[in-house]
Amino acid sequence: MIAFWIILTGALVAITCGLLGCFLILRKMSMVGDAISHAVLPGIVIAFLLSGSRETLPMLLGAGATGMLATFLIEYFHRRANLQTDAAIGVTFTFLFAVGIILISVFAGKVDLDQDCVLYGEIAYVPIDLWVMDGGIILGPRPVYILSAMLLVVILFIKVGYKELKLTSFDPAFASALGISTALWHYLLMAAVSLTTVSSFESVGAILVIAFLIGPPATAYLLTHDLKHMLAITAVLGIFIAFAGYWMAYWLNASIAGCMAVVTGICFASVFVAQRIAKRKSSPAMPGEAIG
Amino acid sequence: MLDSSKFRIFAFSMRKVYFVFVALWGISVCSSCQHRTGADTGHATPYILATTGMIADMLQHIAGDSAVVEALMHPGVDPHLYKASQGDLRKLLDADFIFYNGLHLEGKLASILNKQKRVKPVVAVGEGLADLIMINADTYDPHIWFDVSLWKAATAHAAKELAQLDSSNATYYHANALAYMAQLDTLDAWVHAQLNTIPPRQRVLITAHDAFSYFGRAYGVEVRGLQGISTLSEFGLQDVSALVDYIVDRQIPAVFVESSVSDRSLKAVLAGVQQRGGAVHIGGSLFSDAMGTPGTPEGTYIGMVQYNVNTIVAALSK
Repeated sequence: MIAFWIILTGALVAITCGLLGCFLILRKMSMVGDAISHAVLPGIVIAFLLSGSRETLPMLLGAGATGMLATFLIEYFHRRANLQTDAAIGVTFTFLFAVGIILISVFAGKVDLDQDCVLYGEIAYVPIDLWVMDGGIILGPRPVYILSAMLLVVILFIKVGYKELKLTSFDPAFASALGISTALWHYLLMAAVSLTTVSSFESVGAILVIAFLIGPPATAYLLTHDLKHMLAITAVLGIFIAFAGYWMAYWLNASIAGCMAVVTGICFASVFVAQRIAKRKSSPAMPGEAIG
Repeated sequence: MLDSSKFRIFAFSMRKVYFVFVALWGISVCSSCQHRTGADTGHATPYILATTGMIADMLQHIAGDSAVVEALMHPGVDPHLYKASQGDLRKLLDADFIFYNGLHLEGKLASILNKQKRVKPVVAVGEGLADLIMINADTYDPHIWFDVSLWKAATAHAAKELAQLDSSNATYYHANALAYMAQLDTLDAWVHAQLNTIPPRQRVLITAHDAFSYFGRAYGVEVRGLQGISTLSEFGLQDVSALVDYIVDRQIPAVFVESSVSDRSLKAVLAGVQQRGGAVHIGGSLFSDAMGTPGTPEGTYIGMVQYNVNTIVAALSK
């Protein structure tokens, strides 16, 4: 039962993050997940100062609010200041993270307060993080419910806005010519990303979310340039990684999130290498030609 | 480049995948509904899991040979930064009773253990004690084991809880707890006596992070830390220069590093003092958030306290 819950949780996070990650890769904004993981710090500190507690709910609200603020700022700088997305991401999250550190030093220096101990969950704890009804009936792990709901929302979002998301990702100028508001869809996507990442951080920790946001979509991108196929490959890869990562952690008695992230990297590397070999075999070029 | 048409097989798999997940989820929810609460995991003697080494040591003394006690965190692990492995999860599920420190020492793990209370017996040994040091509204300093008398109160609390959980051995547990508490009384008196040999002006404990507040309060030692409890609260330049002034003014002979915290920040202070002609040195490494390796004297709570006190007395009495 442990294996089932952890693999299910891993797969849910992998699919949810992966589907959104496909669009992020196409927009050259993959590192936005990493940015959010740092940018939530001031939100956590402010939520603690306002509520006086380190319970999950206020932390989640604070983190969610600053996550949204961070994605909003990134988009805003990118659009209005005509800044490259990577620069916009870098400027925004370092600024917000530093504000968080200063807030801790000034107001809460004696309290153990950082993302690691108040927000980031751990996928190993999923099977014991149970949702227990008043009558003592156990309904299974709480994160599975939250993540299932997130996955439903994300699938619905992509289904409803598929055409708009696709057009604004590939050809913003053409999208505006058709009367689609690129700004609106950018902000909607970013809102979905920050909600998904913050709620996933709370369930499984940061590194796994960042790995799933980038790894499977990047691997899928090597295999196909058709967006629908890319989304499907990402989902299937996510499930495979959750399986393989869990059993690797089981055999090595190691960190589950760490093993899943490693498998993600191995998947990417093996597809990349296999593709290079296949390419070389299919076009047996002369040595001189290969260089050109 | 691979032809994308090869992946037509995936065309509808997203929807299929989701249906499979919904089905699996439904099945699992139904099957887990039948598992009602209860900690009957089929051990002959209770299997007790403690989060830190200090708590495991305490419970080993209380439980004697009538229970198996294990510590979740290995020696040298900072409880604030602990991450569970696959095997740790198995231990958490397998345990009959779980004892943890509480007061947010274990970070995120504590909030999950707190929820486990509805499924199996989970006891926070540090919560509900009188005389806790309050940092902020509703926030207390978790490092209670540095005050031996407070740790004794925690022992009494843990013994009472354990006797209730395993009532067949209740008298045995109470007797063991009383014997251990007598040892702690002796230790407490010894610590007082040892620290009183330090000249009062030099009775100042300077460390890198603020873990020794209880120690300072209990034994009349002034405690100065360079950075706060959080791993993210960096020391500021003013902190360093204020501490340098203080050490030079009071002619403090030694500062201390901790086994689980970097000594980089204290090196800056040492350099500052030496520039002003002071003569401060590093008095030794103290065990703060974790004990030494099992088998060595510092691998037990009493041995760890003795080691710390001996180190402090030797360095500050010069």
